[in-house]
Amino acid sequence: MINMTEASIDQANFGLEYAQQNNVQYAEARLIDGTRTVFVLQNGNILSGSTLPWQGIGFRVLVNGGLAFISVDDIFNRKAIKKAIDTGIKMARTSNPKEKIDFGETISNVAKWGIPTEEKISDVTTDRMLELLVEMDKVAESQNISTRANIFEAQESNKYIVTSEGTQIHASLSMLKFIGILTAKGLLDSEQKMIDLTRSTGWEGTKTWLKEYENHCTRIAKVAAQSDHKLTGKIDFVVGPEVVGIICHENCGHPSEGDRIKGREGAQAGESFWRDLKLGESRVGSEHVTILEDPTILGTGGYYLYDDEGVQARERVLIKEGVINEPLLNREFGVKFGMASNAAARSADFNREPIIRMANTYMKPGNFTSDELIEDISSGIYMLSFTEWNIDDRRYQSKYVGFECYEIQNGEITETMVRRPVMELTSIGLFSSIDGVSKDLSFDFPGICGKSDPGQGVPVHAGGGMIRMRGIRLG
Amino acid sequence: MGNLLQSYVEKAVEFGEQLGLDVIIIRGLEKIHNQIRFSQNKIDINKQWHTNVLEVFLVVDKNFIATGEFSPSNEAYIKDQIISLTEFARKMSPSPFYQGVEESVTSNYPIIKGGYDSSIDSYREKAPEHVIACINAACEAGAKRVAGSYLFGETYSILKSSMGLYGQDQATFFNLTVRAFQDELDASGQGLSCGRIPTVAEKDLLTAATRAGTFSKLHRNAVQAKPGIYDVVMAPAVGANLLGTIPSMANPVAIMMGMSALGDKMGSSLAPEFVNVDDNGLFKDGLASEPFDIEGTPHQNTPIIKNGVFINLIHNTSTSRIMGGQTTGNSNLTNFGIGSKFLAPTPTNRIFNNGDHSMEEILQSENPTIFVSCNWYTRYTSRISTEYSTIPRDAAFLVENGELGVPIKNFRISDNLLRQFENIDAMGKDRVQVKWWEVNVPTFIPSIRVKDCRITTATQ
Repeated sequence: MINMTEASIDQANFGLEYAQQNNVQYAEARLIDGTRTVFVLQNGNILSGSTLPWQGIGFRVLVNGGLAFISVDDIFNRKAIKKAIDTGIKMARTSNPKEKIDFGETISNVAKWGIPTEEKISDVTTDRMLELLVEMDKVAESQNISTRANIFEAQESNKYIVTSEGTQIHASLSMLKFIGILTAKGLLDSEQKMIDLTRSTGWEGTKTWLKEYENHCTRIAKVAAQSDHKLTGKIDFVVGPEVVGIICHENCGHPSEGDRIKGREGAQAGESFWRDLKLGESRVGSEHVTILEDPTILGTGGYYLYDDEGVQARERVLIKEGVINEPLLNREFGVKFGMASNAAARSADFNREPIIRMANTYMKPGNFTSDELIEDISSGIYMLSFTEWNIDDRRYQSKYVGFECYEIQNGEITETMVRRPVMELTSIGLFSSIDGVSKDLSFDFPGICGKSDPGQGVPVHAGGGMIRMRGIRLG
Repeated sequence: MGNLLQSYVEKAVEFGEQLGLDVIIIRGLEKIHNQIRFSQNKIDINKQWHTNVLEVFLVVDKNFIATGEFSPSNEAYIKDQIISLTEFARKMSPSPFYQGVEESVTSNYPIIKGGYDSSIDSYREKAPEHVIACINAACEAGAKRVAGSYLFGETYSILKSSMGLYGQDQATFFNLTVRAFQDELDASGQGLSCGRIPTVAEKDLLTAATRAGTFSKLHRNAVQAKPGIYDVVMAPAVGANLLGTIPSMANPVAIMMGMSALGDKMGSSLAPEFVNVDDNGLFKDGLASEPFDIEGTPHQNTPIIKNGVFINLIHNTSTSRIMGGQTTGNSNLTNFGIGSKFLAPTPTNRIFNNGDHSMEEILQSENPTIFVSCNWYTRYTSRISTEYSTIPRDAAFLVENGELGVPIKNFRISDNLLRQFENIDAMGKDRVQVKWWEVNVPTFIPSIRVKDCRITTATQ
């Protein structure tokens, strides 16, 4: 499973040992060694293609409570590695933090893990990749999607994490990313939607892409052709897994990040309304709301078994029956919260420091069938997907604009498509309005989640079943 | 910096020529960039990136193209990568969007003065002191908690192509984002400062920090904003993110991708006559200023909006041949989403004209008016119709009797950008350069007042 070259592993080990010779409190080397193949197409025509070696080492050193991060991409240049480590140690010393950084109890996990694959990406020819992308474009064109911009990236890489505490994690990774920006000319306006099919998989993960893509295109074309009915006033909502996913991610996952709660992302991604709440006590939603975070779900964009600090991954219960329960933590913030890391440290690349990130965030299934959620709504909206959205940097004031939406009348979903209904709600207002969650669960919302400076986009998934929200005043 | 890189660049082009490529362009980049991140009045982490890469664009058999990037460890590795990329290009489909690169190569490039700080190496050790000074300045101005990032560094680049192009550039930069908070979560202020010479930046950095601290203090006890129609005075950070989007759409690739509202608007009036916006790759202190683009075309000033009228797209050689016109020297290997790079017209520095109003004059409006100092999370329902919303963060105020009045919070600007661009009402004479998390293209822009903006708030 692991075929990273010994030579590149030697370089990471060399850097770590060199750091240890310089009396650091803690040192860590994280090596990435792989390839990326990328295509950009516009209406079926190639705009660009790349094949890129992907190689580099990121080091962290902790000295007298000061932390430094250094990266090198010329990994076989030992002189450069030594120079980088020397610089890092000096930078850690001069940062002289008022509050010394502590990573807590020693972690010394030794493990190998990987993303199971049936067909390795490296065994797939360029021709096959392009054939699939062109075929997908034809499907979109046949569905009257007038403008298609499709970006595809196939990544195959190995990751090796080694620390001065004895951690040694080898990971064999495989990921397919696909983003389509699709535009259909509509009744009233052009309708646009971004489609994401990203997941951790070998090439076999593309088997369903044509069908999924066609489904998305059909729905976009339908919205463009039929969505013209406006509703106003106070109304009940039933929202589908894509919208539940984005809500779990934005209104719960982000505010649960320990570094935001403690202010470390203050100037960038922001802080968190959880700061002024009490874990295990503060209610932010109805008893129907339990939101989980789990990196160990196979096939998802956020899949991993050990995080980028070598901590073993597990499920995290962020909100339990409406009460905030557990923040996402790395080692540093595990100490600050008086808890242990729950394996939320992720880094987007070798040249980015590991920080607290989500993986796969979703709402725990409830007890309702989808019919039961709908049947007693006299007037409402069934929101299957969304378009424009945003949320403030405390993650409290959110807005979701519906994309594919249908009017509910007298307990039935009608064929009348509602145009761009706006839910503009606080996080507590939103979660408190939920009075039913369906039994089913699907992960309909893959995405690239952004955070930090310089930006780190990491693949995540989000989902849930259907939820019912009562008495929402449309924005 | 540079001797080894130079030999690697030359070797890479030589290998490409030996392989019989139609075109090979190599840009060697050697960078040492630093960042100091801070929060809660202390330094969190000190970072340094050592980057040593060759960027590649190559063409084989007229229009089979490939782009690549790798770290050159030795000549044999470089040769392997060029061969591999050439084989990859041969397997691609021909690209109808590739219509050639610059052929009239010159060695007479414009000189950009004041773009390199020769004391950058010694500055790296002083930088943490400057960060601490900024934290203290913000606190002295009234902040309780201060967070931010200070990015600075140097980049050495060498460009060489099989068309005869050879050029090099050496640049330094600094970029500070500082955000000051009160004890409460929702009283905050932001300060920004960026430029090319870090060793003379201390005063500007402290001014930015003081602004952040002052705004955070003024923003205490902010009240819930009321939805409605207001004139909005956009500080430069806000205008750069919102109004700067319109000239960014003057890009053929954005139009092709469905990401531009300007596809059918050439020659149309988009703004009042007093609004002018240029793309200028030579602008003094501009973070994107350098002598030439990646094809070797000299950078230039390209008016995009003149007297309110949309008059030019930016181009590289290919798009100028497809759409008619001349290259504007905007070719670059640009990032487009996940990991992809392609040769496309790319904005350099976006230059709004300075206005002639003082801040006091801009705040004099007969209509209900809001001042917004910062915003984030701008998202569009449609990039073509430009319906969008964004969230003001940090200090915002109702304007009362021509002065900043009651601090307000918890609202959105939910509007249409084309309409707002038309509704620009007054421009300040306080133009500054903005580049931060929410503004990718370095933008020189003053404070701007926009009439009749729609403000929304949460309904529950």
